[in-house]
Amino acid sequence: MRSIMMKNAVLIVASAIALTSVLRGEEKITVKGSDTMVILAQRWAEKYMSAHPDVVIQVTGGGSGTGISALINGTTDICNASRPIKPSERDKLKTRYGSLGVEIKSARDGLSVYVNEQSPVKELSLQQLKDIYTSKTTNWKDVGGPDEKIILYGRENNSGTYVYFKDNVLLGDDYSSSMQSMPGTAAVVNAVAKDKWGIGYGGAAYGKGIREVKVKKDEGSPAYAPTLENIKSGNYPISRFLYLYVKNRPTGALKQYIDWILNDEGQKIVSEVGYFPIR
Amino acid sequence: MTKYLLLAMGILCLVMPAVAQQQEPATKEELAEIKGMVDGINESAAEYRVYVDALRKIKISGYMQPQFRYTDLVNTSFLVGTFSGGTFPANTKNLFQVRRGRIKVNYDNNLTQFVIQIDAIQTGFTTKDAYLSIVEPWTKSVGLQMGIFNRPFGYEIEYSSSNRESPERSRFTQTLFPGERELGAKLFYAPQMGPLTMFRADVGLFNGSGPTANEYDNFKEVIGHLVYQLPFEQANAELDMGVSGYFGAVRNNTKFLYKAGDLPSGAKGFIADSTASNLNDGVGRTYVGFDAQFYYDVPSVGGAILRGEYVFGKQPGTSSTSVSASAQPATPIYQREFAGWYVYYIQNIGSKEQIVVKYDVFDPNTKISSSQFMNTNASGASGLAATDIKYSTIGFGLIHHWDDNVKFVLYYELVKNEKLTNITDTSSPLFPYAGDVNDSVLTFRMQCRF
Repeated sequence: MRSIMMKNAVLIVASAIALTSVLRGEEKITVKGSDTMVILAQRWAEKYMSAHPDVVIQVTGGGSGTGISALINGTTDICNASRPIKPSERDKLKTRYGSLGVEIKSARDGLSVYVNEQSPVKELSLQQLKDIYTSKTTNWKDVGGPDEKIILYGRENNSGTYVYFKDNVLLGDDYSSSMQSMPGTAAVVNAVAKDKWGIGYGGAAYGKGIREVKVKKDEGSPAYAPTLENIKSGNYPISRFLYLYVKNRPTGALKQYIDWILNDEGQKIVSEVGYFPIR
Repeated sequence: MTKYLLLAMGILCLVMPAVAQQQEPATKEELAEIKGMVDGINESAAEYRVYVDALRKIKISGYMQPQFRYTDLVNTSFLVGTFSGGTFPANTKNLFQVRRGRIKVNYDNNLTQFVIQIDAIQTGFTTKDAYLSIVEPWTKSVGLQMGIFNRPFGYEIEYSSSNRESPERSRFTQTLFPGERELGAKLFYAPQMGPLTMFRADVGLFNGSGPTANEYDNFKEVIGHLVYQLPFEQANAELDMGVSGYFGAVRNNTKFLYKAGDLPSGAKGFIADSTASNLNDGVGRTYVGFDAQFYYDVPSVGGAILRGEYVFGKQPGTSSTSVSASAQPATPIYQREFAGWYVYYIQNIGSKEQIVVKYDVFDPNTKISSSQFMNTNASGASGLAATDIKYSTIGFGLIHHWDDNVKFVLYYELVKNEKLTNITDTSSPLFPYAGDVNDSVLTFRMQCRF
């Protein structure tokens, strides 16, 4: 008798919660895309939902390319991307929705280059990085290190970080076939942390447990670390924006959320996670 | 009591390391075993990765368009619906059909592509695309494509039927470019990076006989299209503009060549040129086209698209048809000067609904107006025929995107022909066109794409 009453009570309470949600008119916002931004996006979502209990924000990664495809297919409201949208992707968005999409710069990131803590290499030029990742340079001794083979770690091709590094460091050349593709920046960091002769790249926020090398534009230039000051001044050669893309001009709950991301509260979270505010 | 406690603690301190040492070898062995298993899994994963990377290059996609069509006119004496999804069989006002059933296999090796696409519908299978494409590795902007693929002319030809808002292409596109595709080769320029990404150019050499027929004369067609994209990013708008050219010829199998002009009676009709050198000569097939698309995100409503195209030129046909031939015409060539254009307006309502309005005009013979069709003309060697009649079509459509794979289309086409008011002879095959033929078509289509 008592257990039946308990079950009934649970059912009544659950129904009441569901009904309350419906009556309250919960807004749901879906966010998909960049793995570089997924921790940041989750922190934004958690903070925003705690202040706006009528909004449910669902965040998943999958890579910038996956996010942009989801935007084109209509299965996400916001796409996080660590690279600009490509002309061919914009054409698909244009064809389907009659809109170029709306690009919002939400944060800055310095693309870090990681080596193992035990590696003696402290700085590399852009040309050296290009030569390493295209396997023109295969031994650490050619860049001031010991006589050891360079082990390459990178990202998979649906990653905005992969595309950004290829466009801006490799200048469009293909990655070496020996590069091991990892599913996220955390996996790259983990691999380099365990491989004494490994090298990897990724967002600055993930640079824990390994050492970031300083990067210089060319042999004659000074090398800079990926700090806020160096990124803002343009001295650090590999810096980028982290983007939000939406299909159309945002309105309603979507606009309120994006405005919040761009204001002081959202940008404070950017700094806390390890990226750099947009202003 | 304290002494005994201290003694017990001392004994424990001595015993515990010994016990731990006894445990260490077992733990080390287990760790070594686990490390070996992990290394083995990593090796297997690396091996499988090679296969997965190879399989990822193969992309299979497709779409299917089952539909229901309805027309008011029962097909008795002439064709209905030919340009609205296919001719209705005799005595049929409504029918179900699979308009398109496409399967496309694309092997994408980054700079190399291999594409095969077939169409499977109730009447059988046909090849739609079969081509190879390579892009140079330096700028990755210039490429060569060879095989069966869309003619690089205008906008509507290359715009996929799975994306297109109206069920069918415009009348002039279906007349001039039946099947859309052609056998040939083209060079294309399509930069993905750098300051010239707003340009795109295609130029190629083609047979001119259509996608599924062999070449039937020695005349090749040069087809080209140049596009410029002008974004207005602050306004979330863009204007894309293109210009196209088609320069080819169709071999004349006879010495007779007909062009529109004044007959000895003073009426308008086709004048025969019977110069001997006409035999085996190429009769010019030349088109010039302009296309433009304007995209604008209407605030709080959704994206809007205004799209238009205008084409004019000279089309070699026969006495009874202007449709481009897929086989050598055995009868004399009739060369007609034509003009055609369309305008689309598409309004997205949110992300799932679309409203479409389209106006499409095709004048297959700009030298002849409706009042110049006379009773004395009869289809034949010097006469005007139904193929010379100008048509305008206005279409209204509603589209609902059920999800990212499925959409529903409801579309009504009001088809209007120019009225041949001077045709009063009821025995004339053109008499039905004295008024507007009631050949409008309603289409309800379901599309699934993957």
